[in-house]
Amino acid sequence: MKKFQLILALCMTCLPAFAQQGVDMADTMRSEGKIYVVVGVMAIVFTVVLVYLVLLDRKIGRLERKIRNRAGT
Amino acid sequence: MMRYVWKIAAALLVYYSLVAGLTGEVPRMAILNETIRNIYFHVPMWFTMMALFLVSLIYSLKYLSGSSPDHDLVAAEAARVAMVFGIAGLLTGMLWARFTWGAWWVNDTKLNGSAATMLVYAAYFILRNSVPEKQKRARLSAVYAIFSFSLMIVFIMVLPRLTDSLHPGNGGNPAFGSYDLDSRMRAVFYPAVAGWILVGLWILQIRIRTRKLENTVSI
Amino acid sequence: MRNIFTLVGKEITLEWRNKYALSGVFIYVISTIFICYNAFRQMIDPQAWNALFWIILLFAAVNAVAKSFMQETRGLQLFYYSFLDPQQVILARIVYNSVLMTVISLASFGFYTVFLGNLVADVPMFLLGLLLGSTGFAAVLTLVSAIASRAGNSASLMAVLSFPILLPLLITVIRFSRNAMEGFSWSVNNPHLLVLLSLNALVIALAYLLFPYIWKA
Repeated sequence: MKKFQLILALCMTCLPAFAQQGVDMADTMRSEGKIYVVVGVMAIVFTVVLVYLVLLDRKIGRLERKIRNRAGT
Repeated sequence: MMRYVWKIAAALLVYYSLVAGLTGEVPRMAILNETIRNIYFHVPMWFTMMALFLVSLIYSLKYLSGSSPDHDLVAAEAARVAMVFGIAGLLTGMLWARFTWGAWWVNDTKLNGSAATMLVYAAYFILRNSVPEKQKRARLSAVYAIFSFSLMIVFIMVLPRLTDSLHPGNGGNPAFGSYDLDSRMRAVFYPAVAGWILVGLWILQIRIRTRKLENTVSI
Repeated sequence: MRNIFTLVGKEITLEWRNKYALSGVFIYVISTIFICYNAFRQMIDPQAWNALFWIILLFAAVNAVAKSFMQETRGLQLFYYSFLDPQQVILARIVYNSVLMTVISLASFGFYTVFLGNLVADVPMFLLGLLLGSTGFAAVLTLVSAIASRAGNSASLMAVLSFPILLPLLITVIRFSRNAMEGFSWSVNNPHLLVLLSLNALVIALAYLLFPYIWKA
């Protein structure tokens, strides 16, 4: 839980005050909140990769246990 | 517990870098504009590659001092995973270079150094494949890895200092100084690097375990 | 130390006895330069002159040093293995190959200037670059040829293994000799000289430390 709070706090500190003049940035996109769509898409992509990694990890763990048991008996 | 805590840490660090990297505030710089955020996603690929090559190098040294086949296995697999991250770094870098420096490939020592490092490891795998006998293969490839990696360190670390590079921190100053990687960016960049290195190590661990399973089954 | 010089002497006598290998490398260099002469006629651009010269030398070096460990018969290997210290063998080989490469590169420089003209402003500096480049090439290629010969002797393996690791050396030496061609002062070229010297030292030290492991294989 603490970790989530930390992350939230860190995100909050990053948010305010874009409106500096000069160089073109995607300020409109940010003010419309569409940037969160991009964040969401990237988070989903990474989640899928992670889930795949976890599944692989568990499958290999099962196989390892199986072989260890067979060697034991 | 500890067995998977670092994997959770890897996931959380990368998630954090995704969210904070896209929404956080960055310095406003001409030409770069929003692409400055690529630092959070492109540079960690290179850091992860180098970290994994370092793992490979350490295990090559270990192999030469102890001749344990396990060390050879780790050295080869680490180099293999490092190549994957290297390819990711190369492709993302090329795309970024196209839109900031104007070409897919620019003559830059850092670029050439990374490409040469990958060539060296491609040669490393060719060497491995051309020696059928296991012990000899492990020994020769360990020697080659140590020899070539030391030269590549000169390539990547020393040569860029001699000439101007398009990359920040070259041609005199060895830090990120000129990019104005301020404290806000550091707060995202370092977690991103740590997270991706941990993800790389996780993939490495999976590969090592599968190879070990393969070995036990084939006996 | 004495042993090393004896070994170097032995290498030279062996080389002299079957001259065909040595003359093969020379003919290779001369004919390549002649081809370049016919292709370019007149070289005006110093940068291209320099790059072409080093590329010719690179290929000549691979050809000349590749046979270093491959020519040995099984019996000779056994003899070495039982009577000699591996570290003496590698040092002797490196010394011998450096001498060979220096001779080859000096000769190529001679032919090159005859055919394509001399564009070098500071010849002593260029020759220093030539010397350091030759020893560096020789040292790297000696170790790689040892690896390649143990790995089953293919000549293409030698090229694949050596080209990427020759790159740092090649880039530095090309820059160094380009500065020499332009006639820049030593203060401009000092950092390159320093890198060249340290690369040479690094390569020789690594070869010295690592060769015993190949020897055993």
